[in-house]
Amino acid sequence: MLANIGDWLNERFGWRSVWEAIFLRKIPHVNWLYTLGSATLFVAVNQAITGILLTLYYVPTPDHAYDSVVYITTQLPMGWFIRGLHHWGASAMVILTVAHLLRVFFYGAYKFPREVTWMTGVILLIVVIGFGFTGYLLPWDQRAYWATTVGTRIVGVAPVVGDWLLRVARGGDELSAVTLARFFGTHVWVLPAALIILVGMHLYLVIRNGISAVPGKDE
Amino acid sequence: MGESDNKEEKINRSDFMKATIAGIGGLIGIAYGLPAVAYVIGPAAKQGSSDWIQLGSVNKIEMNTPTLFKAVVETQTGWIKSEEEISAYVLTENGQDYIVMSNVCTHLGCRVRWVAEQGEFFCPCHNGVFSRDGSVVSGPPPRPLDRFESKVEAGILYVKRGG
Amino acid sequence: MKKQEQQEYMEKYKKAKAEGVPFFPDIIFKDIVVSLLILIILVLLAYFIGAPVEARANPNDASYTPRPEWYFLFLFQMLKYFPGKLEVVGAMILPTLFIGLLLVLPFLDKSPKRHFLKRPFASLMAVGVLLGIVGLTLLALNAAPTPQTTVVIDKAADLYAKNCANCHGPTIDVPAGVDLHQIIAAGNHQGMPAWGGDLSTDEIDMLVGFILSPNGSALFTRECAGCHKNAIQATGNPIELQRVFDEGKAYPAHKDQDVTDWKKSLNVDEQNALLNFLAAPDGQRLFVINCSGCHGEGIAFKGSKEELRKLIVDGGHQLTMPGWKGTLSTDDLDTLANYVTDPQGYPAGTKLFGIYCATCHGDKVPVAPDKESALTMIGSGGAHITMPVWGDILTSDQVDALVAYTLESGSETGIIVGAKLFAENCTFCHGKYGEGGLNPTFAGDTIAPISSPNYLKTRDDTTIRNIIAEGQTFGMPPFASSYGGTLNDDQIAALVAFIRNWEIIPPIIPDIPATPTANPTATPGTTSPGSGEVSFADQVQPIFQSRCIACHNSSSGQAGFDASTYQAVMTSGDSGPQIVAGDAANSPLITLLQTATGFMPPMGKLSDDDIQIIVEWINAGALDN
Repeated sequence: MLANIGDWLNERFGWRSVWEAIFLRKIPHVNWLYTLGSATLFVAVNQAITGILLTLYYVPTPDHAYDSVVYITTQLPMGWFIRGLHHWGASAMVILTVAHLLRVFFYGAYKFPREVTWMTGVILLIVVIGFGFTGYLLPWDQRAYWATTVGTRIVGVAPVVGDWLLRVARGGDELSAVTLARFFGTHVWVLPAALIILVGMHLYLVIRNGISAVPGKDE
Repeated sequence: MGESDNKEEKINRSDFMKATIAGIGGLIGIAYGLPAVAYVIGPAAKQGSSDWIQLGSVNKIEMNTPTLFKAVVETQTGWIKSEEEISAYVLTENGQDYIVMSNVCTHLGCRVRWVAEQGEFFCPCHNGVFSRDGSVVSGPPPRPLDRFESKVEAGILYVKRGG
Repeated sequence: MKKQEQQEYMEKYKKAKAEGVPFFPDIIFKDIVVSLLILIILVLLAYFIGAPVEARANPNDASYTPRPEWYFLFLFQMLKYFPGKLEVVGAMILPTLFIGLLLVLPFLDKSPKRHFLKRPFASLMAVGVLLGIVGLTLLALNAAPTPQTTVVIDKAADLYAKNCANCHGPTIDVPAGVDLHQIIAAGNHQGMPAWGGDLSTDEIDMLVGFILSPNGSALFTRECAGCHKNAIQATGNPIELQRVFDEGKAYPAHKDQDVTDWKKSLNVDEQNALLNFLAAPDGQRLFVINCSGCHGEGIAFKGSKEELRKLIVDGGHQLTMPGWKGTLSTDDLDTLANYVTDPQGYPAGTKLFGIYCATCHGDKVPVAPDKESALTMIGSGGAHITMPVWGDILTSDQVDALVAYTLESGSETGIIVGAKLFAENCTFCHGKYGEGGLNPTFAGDTIAPISSPNYLKTRDDTTIRNIIAEGQTFGMPPFASSYGGTLNDDQIAALVAFIRNWEIIPPIIPDIPATPTANPTATPGTTSPGSGEVSFADQVQPIFQSRCIACHNSSSGQAGFDASTYQAVMTSGDSGPQIVAGDAANSPLITLLQTATGFMPPMGKLSDDDIQIIVEWINAGALDN
């Protein structure tokens, strides 16, 4: 009976061939360093889950941002846990992304036929750094405010268009409600959209080209 | 012989890994799921506090005349603190038992006023009239004025919020 | 990579894949184990360290030291090596270049070699970049103040940021010899406000310390602020400060404290910076703290700057008083001895003291217990009180400031000189404290106080200078020599400085009843006299005299109102009579007095009792009684 339903659905979805293509494909013998990529993905999912949960209470305005973060951390049941995972997940994300990049580099895995996989990976690293930078402002506490003040100032160093870029980054001359709103928007909409698209491409390419083998000494 | 052993071993290993994946997967799911549920339902699970609110001294209450009391209650919803004013009419007929009535009309929520000449509560919105003890005399109100649970301690009248 | 090499790779990979394991469950098993491990680490971090929340963002708190998240630290550290115009290299060009290189890496490195030992150049480069980033991060971690120390705010810097930085920018260059404390307290008349009203003396001292030694302020915050919450809680006495350095743990107040041996842990420059912060090289303050105990308010030192400097630095042994027996006549000695025993009783000694003693003693007269010992002391001389060897105690900056101030204050300008001139020329009319009073040269006129905050705030130095120089109506003569007076420009400048100084240190005026009350039986402040009992001459007129007549008089009646006589009070006024007899409520005068705002009257609203007296008087018919 169950098998019948399965067959019926398979005729329409074709999920068995997908399953076979993805999960039953053969992988060369690899070592534990090859888990870094999936670990990064795991932490990214962690960031997504905890991040979505945080937006249930967080309010991105200077009036409420700090209070709502304090409320999440101190008043809500498990709020400290969700925020703690998100906070430390951010650092883990950076560490794991870089570690994954190093593994790929030293194993020469960016070479034919995986050049594009590598390039999407490098863009993903930039996205991750963007997440870190925009997310840092959101609690609207002293270190958020001042670190972002200094951080955005770096943009202003650019020749000719520096001042203009600085104003665009901050949404004005100074850090303000506008800055907070656009950092929040970037952090929860722009960057996640970019992340999903890039991770999708990255994974598709990994599956299509296969996971690289550990190169031998003579390779 | 050896080959079949090898195969069996492989199958056992594979089953073990599958079981472990399911186990760890479940564990991770629980690690996120349970805190997430607690986190989401947190504010709802918090019981509306039914603290006793101090209304004022009973000495101020005139016998047989509803007296209006106002008390400011500080409430915190989420991270926003707000002050709410509670108004209530207090009636006593013997100086022992107190009836504490909401001054909100049971019809559409306007504020009722005590009109001493008539000895009745009067709602200005749709001419609802309540008697001294809050029961409906005339007009559209569907039920008597709501009452608060109250108590007197050391000459001070308290009411229970939301009660 | 050539086509052939690509094909070779693909074939090899195919083989490796065929020998491999299925993705599920083999690979996923490893992945999920690692994921669980990471989750456990994250949970532990969240539980034991948590996500920090600092104080709410405060855009006005410029003293906060910003720290970027740790993974940006290396970038921040790198920026330190690209100062000024080069900053764009560190901030933009290098990072962009680096990311660009990473992006196109597969096209730069097209060799078929994959093992890292087979491509030593790329591997070494990567290791180099990695070590660089780690190294820079470590450097930044070492340089960045730990969170604990940033909690202690540099209070002086904070004060500076709040009050001065808007106009003066991050630092102020102060020429030597400037009385900075005075300038901050009184402002200057190029638009700098007087801070004396808003900041305490201690806070001004702190600011001066910060301006003259910002590094010292930072050092204080680092070394001392843990215990001394305010710079002012630590001592500003250089002798004590030097002891702290010299004695270390043995210094009594530091006995049970966990203190560092600053003499070793700080280099000489740092020690000086710290001392300069706590006892700022501000001549006036240094003199007050260190010298005035023996020398009074100033020393009229006539020698050169170098001589004075040497005198101060050497201290001690220089200070042997010569025996005056042979030099002075017996009469002179006698006069001096009398003078130092009782300066007030024998004013005749002032001149002698000024000639022979003031060079060292300043204007502080050492008081002897009796004439005998005074005679012996003056006659034989010798060391009595030893002056400390200031060279060991003060930093060189401090000595410079002290020298500059002493010379400046000894010259014919300055507040001390001004005080003397004021006493000689002004006190007769303006009172000892500038409190004013009845005008002795112009009957019926009252001189308003010139030491009141209102008076001083509404007149700048030029105005006061002109008033003194040119005189005023109501009998104040011109004082400037150019107008036929007796004072030269320097002396007038000194007077102005002295008067302006009241704004910082208001004179304490002995409590003289301002309103002479003719009705001694009336208890002030409780009940007012009943109707019919109020006398114009005895009760109302004195109020007018003391509070109104300065402006509202017959010659210059402001708003046409003249409060000098009964007749004038009842009839004068540009907008008609100010008093409606019998109806105080409708008398414009009462409305004006009750709502007194702005400059009317200059010394503030009349007391309720005074107003009540006038009200009663009007209600009783405003009689000339």
